[in-house]
This record gives sequence, C-alpha cells and structure tokens, in this order.
Amino acid sequence: MEEIKAVDIQIFPYRYLKPETTEKILNSIYSLGKDIIRVIIHGQSLPKYVYYGPARGTPVNHPDRKVINVNGKDVELTVKVGKFIITVPYEKSVELSKKLDEICKKALPFGYSLNMGAFTKVKPTVSDYLKYGEGFEDKIDPRLIGMVDPTSRTSDKVKMIKGD
Amino acid sequence: MKENYKPQFYPGETIIGENRRKHMDPNCELKKLREISDDDLVRVLGHRNPGESYKTVHPPLEEMDFEEDAIKDLVEPIEGAKEGIRVRYIQFADSMYNAPAQPYDRARTYMWRFRGVDTGTLSGRQVIEIRELDLEKISKWLVETEIFDPATCGMRGATVHGHSLRLDENGLMFDGLQRYIYDEKTGHVLYVKEQVGIPLDEPVDVGEPLPQEYLAKITTIYRKDNIGMREDKEALEVVETIHVARSEGGFGMNSFKHDLKKRLGEE
Repeated sequence: MEEIKAVDIQIFPYRYLKPETTEKILNSIYSLGKDIIRVIIHGQSLPKYVYYGPARGTPVNHPDRKVINVNGKDVELTVKVGKFIITVPYEKSVELSKKLDEICKKALPFGYSLNMGAFTKVKPTVSDYLKYGEGFEDKIDPRLIGMVDPTSRTSDKVKMIKGD
Repeated sequence: MKENYKPQFYPGETIIGENRRKHMDPNCELKKLREISDDDLVRVLGHRNPGESYKTVHPPLEEMDFEEDAIKDLVEPIEGAKEGIRVRYIQFADSMYNAPAQPYDRARTYMWRFRGVDTGTLSGRQVIEIRELDLEKISKWLVETEIFDPATCGMRGATVHGHSLRLDENGLMFDGLQRYIYDEKTGHVLYVKEQVGIPLDEPVDVGEPLPQEYLAKITTIYRKDNIGMREDKEALEVVETIHVARSEGGFGMNSFKHDLKKRLGEE
C-alpha cells in the first residue's frame, strides 16, 4: 500500500456543540479547499429510542439529532459533537492548522484546544479485516480504513462530501 | 455522654469543606432558591399521577397485629411506614463541573438529615429510596434548595450518563435522553420528560441555571481549577490517616509482622 503522508489535526472544544455551530465549523473547514483529506466528527451518541429502563422503546426526539447541511449535502447528526479530527497532507499541515485556528477563534468563544498528531489508525487492524476481508488494502479508499466497525453499515457512518 | 458529643460532620479548612459541613449539618438551613409546585414534582418523579392516592403494600401499622417487640416501641415509624405506603425512589446525577453536590456528599447528607432512607452511592449518581409519601417531601427540599442546580444536576432515574462530560454550549450537563432542555427565550431549564425518559404532557419549569461563579462558591467538589484537595491541609490529613489505618488494619501488618519475621528467620 502506498504510504500517505498525512497528519491529523484535532479540534477539542471545551463545550459540547449545538448542531448550528457544528454546521458552521464543518462548512468553514470545507471552504479551505481540496487539501482537506478527511473530517471526522466525534462525540456522545444520541439514541433514537430509549434503550434501557422503564421507558425502553419510547422515541427520544433529541433536539440535537438534526439534519445539517455540509457543503450542499445533508448529513444526519447522530452524535453530540465534542471533537473534530481533520486529516491533512503533511506538507500543508502548519498552514492549515493556522487557518483552522482562525475558524475556531470565531466559532468557539468558550475556548478550545488544537493539536496536531496521529489521532486515527495508520495501519489496518483486526476489525478492518473482519469488515473487508483479507487483502482489501488496495481495493478500497484508504480513507475508509478504521472508520467503521464491523457491526454497523458504512453508509450510516461515512458521508462522501466533495470539497471545493 | 450525649450532651458532650458534638458532631464535626466533615474536615476541611477551605470553602469546600465548609459547604460539605453545611449540607450535612441537620441544623443548618440551606438557602431556598426556587419554587416548584407539588404536582409538578410528582409528575417529574413519575411514580403516580398528581391527585392519585398512594399505593400501599401493607395495612396501616395501627391495624396490624404484631408480636411483642421492644424495638417497635422504641423506634417511631416515619409517616409513610405508618400508612403502609410503598417504597419509591429519586435519583440525581451531578456534573463534575462544580455541581453543588456529589454522590458521597449526598449520601452523608441524606443519612444525617432524613430518617428511614436507603441510599445508594455510585460514581455518577445517587439514589434515595424511601416510602413514597416521605419521598415527595424530601424531593421537594432537594430540588428547591441550593443543593440543586438545574444545569449541572439532573433528576435521572435511568440512563444517567453525562456527569463526567463537558457541559454543552448552554451550560447544561449532557443527557442522551434529553429530559430537560434550555429555553433560550426565557433562560430557564424545562423538564420535558419524567426521570426515566417518558414524555410529560406539559413541561415543568425548574428555573434559571446558577451562574458559574456562584456555583464555584457553593460546590462540594474539589477541583484543580477551583479549589484543589491539596490546598486543604486538614481534609488531606484526615484522608491520609484513614488510608493508613485501613491499609495497616486491613493487611494486619502490626499483628503479622513478628510472625513474618520469624518465618524469614530474622527473629
């Protein structure tokens, strides 16, 4: 497999975000152009139905489980966003992290921390082989490695959004 | 003996220790910050409908025949027990971000202030079980006084996850079931579901969240960014003493050390 020289930039806001703020940040990230390889949003999952206790099975109707529009594409948020991991090419990482810092300064008045490093998997592991089978490395988009666990559907978890 | 004994409640020379003592001391009146009607509270608890009579598990104690028992004469039963009303619960989750109370503090407070309670401590939640009649009185006190904050405390019967997470943009503790919402127009917190997550017909207003600065003053949680435990010499001393006593007593170091030395051939 061809080695991708990419690094991750992690944005860690000091508060959990509203869908509106998430939408704003994601659109600003996508406006940075084609250099962005991949964006991951991470946070606490928002269940559709109550899964435990006497109210089991009742719909939750969480106001933050919303459909947001990212770069013209509708995405259903299934998490309360607490973290962004943005994968960028190594040679442009410093330049892009400065731009991301600017975006965060405007959108996150309550504070955040921005770190650069490896926050995602760099090599396939057992769960990837379970999902895709042996010898899959050359057959799929390398950005999908480590993104979805074997028990869930890829289409639920990954959205392909074209950058500008 | 009883007259000489003066309970100290809790060690600590910082405001955190002071707040913990305030919670635990049954003679200390806590400030009342909000008003919630009885019916609203009953709806959030979700054990019975407002106006409905209490379900009982046994006839009133006066009508029952018991064998002669000295303890029954000594101990005055609580109101709910007299009536034979069933046992129900209320459970609170408290955020680590300077919530006014936390599980251990709640446990000790409940034990000092109330009779006939069974309380259970977990890392992020504290349950209190008592006869339903008394539960409602206690819950009212727990929600109306400064032991409760609408944003950083939650009445959560099941699925309590959220106490150790960052707050959200409005300052509310995360709740996967979103039992309460922040009304951006009025700035109040509204309960839209009862404590286990069943939707309510009408929202219950529990008032405004307390300001962060005020919370930092009334909290019972030691935090590095507020007042750290290491700043409190007295509390630390007590904790260390207990730790040493427990370790030495538990492992039996003083009792067994001669035996051990003998076996090793040192004595």
